[in-house]
Amino acid sequence: MRKAASLALAIAVASGVVTTTERSAHAQEIVLTGPLKGAPPVIKLRLYREGRLEIAPMIAFTLLDEYQHGYLFGGRINYYITDWLAVGVWGGGVVSSNTDLTSQIDNIAPRNEFTATNVAPCVPNGAVTQPAATCPANTNHPSFSDQTAKMAWAVLPQVTAVPFRGKLALFQALFVDTEAYLFFGLGAVGFNQRANCGDPTANPAQPACSAAASFNTTGTALFTLSGGIGLTFFINDLVNVGVEYRVLGYVGSGVNRGGFDSRGLGPGENFPDGKVNGQDATSNIDNLIGISVGVMLGRRKVSAQ
Amino acid sequence: MKQAHWLLFAAVLVLVPSLALAQKKPAGKGGTTAPTATGSTTGSAAGGGTIDLDQPQGDQPQPTGTATAGGTGGGICEIDPSACPKGQDLGEAAKKEYKKEIYAVEQIYVLRYHRVELTPYWGFTLNDQFVSHPGPGLNANFYITNVFAVGLNGNFYDGLNSPSDFNFQTRRSTRVAVPLNEYQWSAALNFTYVPVYGKFAGFGSFIFSYDLYATGGVGAISTRPIPVIDPDNRTFSFVPKVCFNLGIGLRVFLTRWLAVTGEIRDYIYPEQLEALTIASGAVVGPTDPNYKNSPSNPATWLQDGISLTNNFQANVGLSFFLPFSFEYRLPK
Repeated sequence: MRKAASLALAIAVASGVVTTTERSAHAQEIVLTGPLKGAPPVIKLRLYREGRLEIAPMIAFTLLDEYQHGYLFGGRINYYITDWLAVGVWGGGVVSSNTDLTSQIDNIAPRNEFTATNVAPCVPNGAVTQPAATCPANTNHPSFSDQTAKMAWAVLPQVTAVPFRGKLALFQALFVDTEAYLFFGLGAVGFNQRANCGDPTANPAQPACSAAASFNTTGTALFTLSGGIGLTFFINDLVNVGVEYRVLGYVGSGVNRGGFDSRGLGPGENFPDGKVNGQDATSNIDNLIGISVGVMLGRRKVSAQ
Repeated sequence: MKQAHWLLFAAVLVLVPSLALAQKKPAGKGGTTAPTATGSTTGSAAGGGTIDLDQPQGDQPQPTGTATAGGTGGGICEIDPSACPKGQDLGEAAKKEYKKEIYAVEQIYVLRYHRVELTPYWGFTLNDQFVSHPGPGLNANFYITNVFAVGLNGNFYDGLNSPSDFNFQTRRSTRVAVPLNEYQWSAALNFTYVPVYGKFAGFGSFIFSYDLYATGGVGAISTRPIPVIDPDNRTFSFVPKVCFNLGIGLRVFLTRWLAVTGEIRDYIYPEQLEALTIASGAVVGPTDPNYKNSPSNPATWLQDGISLTNNFQANVGLSFFLPFSFEYRLPK
C-alpha cells in the first residue's frame, strides 16, 4: 500500500515537473505550428454560384405609374463565371392595366374641339356620356386607354456582380445565407405607343391627329440602359428567393405616356403643334420591383480553404 | 519513509499552483507567454482589463513577455531539437499578419437593450406621381428589449411639396383635373420590432452587420388640398387627420452606435379632396342670400366623403444609438 502511494506521488511530481517545464514551449507551439496557424477566417466556404447556371423566373411591377401599371412576367438567366461575377440576360413580357387616372379620363374627359387631338373619341364600357360621331358603330374604341403607352417586352443582357455575402437570422431561430448583388445591362424595351400623326410632310400616310385612326398604337423598340440592386436568400443549394430594384433608362426621345400632343410650338416649343411625334415624349425612366425564385443548376462547390 | 511521503506531497503542492499560473497569471510577469494572436485579448480580459470594442484588434492592449522557447532554455528544444524554433522563425512570425480571432458563436454586434435611437432622415415620396412630399424627419426610439422599441417620429413637409409637370400636361390635354393635396407635418407614436439581423462580408475583406425591422403606429398628419379646380375662389387651411403608419426598414451598422438607415413607410389617412365641380351660383359674400350656392362658399369646395390615402414614403438617414457604449452580459 505504501509502495503504491509512493509511486502515485512520484508520478504526480514527475508529471508536474514535465508540465511546468513544457509550459513555455506550448505557448510557442500555438504561434508557430498550431492547427490554426495561417488559417483563413472561413474554411470550406459555400460557393453557391461559381460555375453554375441560374434560372430565375420573376414577376416584376412598375412604380409611379401615370396611365398604365406594368406587370412583367419573365426572369433572368445568369452564368456565374466566378462566385461574384456573372453574365446573363433579363427580360420578359409585360401585361398592362389602367391606372385610376386613365379610367377617370376615359369616363369624364370631354370629347370636343379642345381635346380632339389628345383624347380618343370613344368612351369604354358603354358609359357613353358624350358620344362622339367618330366612334365606329357598335364599338367603344378607340378610347383613351387605347392610346396610352404600354410596355410590351424587355430583353437586356446584363452583368451581375455579387460583392456582399453573409447571413441573416430570422427571429433568432432561422438562419439564411444571403447575398447582395448589383447589375448593369443594356438592351431593348418594347413599347406600344401612339403613332406619329398630323405631319403629312414627314409622311403622307400620317393621319390627322383628330382622326380616330390616329389614336392607334404602334410597336416601338427603345434602346435601354438598366441597373439595379438585389438580395438573394438561399433556401438550399438549389433554390433561392430574390428581390430586386431595377431602373430602366430609355435612350433617345423616350416614351409619350399619354399619347398627347403637348409640345412643338411657341416659346420653348412648350405648346401643342397639332402633331404627335418624338417631341411629345414625356418620360425616359421606369422603376421596377421584381421578385424571383431562382434555381441553380450544376454542382455547388466549396472553397479550398 | 514517512518523511519521504510528506516531502513528495509538499512537492506536488508546490507544483500545482504553477500549473494554475500558466492559465491565469497575466502575461509579462510569468515571462513564459509569448504574444499570440489568440491569447492576448482573452488573457487581458480574464485579468480584469478593459477592451475597447470599437478599437481594431491590433490596437488592443497586448501582453508583454519574453519568449524563451526560441532561445536556449529547455522545453521542446530539449525534447526535440529539430522542432526548436529558431530566432529567424520568430522574426518572420512577428511580421506575419494574422486574422482577427473567430469564435464559434459570435456576440451580436450591437445591443439595443435600454438604448435610445435617434434617426434624422430625409423622406421621399414613392407612390404619388402628382405631388411629391419630400422633407426632413426625426425618429426617436427607446428599446425596451433588444428587439422591441417604442418611440415617436415626425415629418416636416411645409413648403417642400412639389406638384409635377405631369399634372399640368394632363389638365391641358384632357380637360380633366386631378385633385391634389399637400402636407404640412405628421407625428406618430410607433412600436418597432427587429426580427431579422445578419452580417455581410464585403468584397471578402470587411464585414458589416445589419438588421431589418418592422414598425407601425398611430398619430396625425396635417394636410390640405391644393386648389386646382377653382384656384380663383378657393383657399384651404391645413387640417390634422388621424394617420396610421406601417413600415419596414434596414439598418447597416458602421459602428456600435452609428448606422445608415433606409426605410419604407406607408402613411394611411383619410383625405379630403377638392370638389371637381364649381358651385353654379354667382360669387357673392357670406351675407348674400345666394351664398349657399356660391363658388366663394367654403362649404362647396370639398368633395363629399373621404378618400383613404396611402402615402408611401422612403426615408434615408443616420441612426445614433445612445449611450454610445454598452456591456455584454457574458464575455466572448
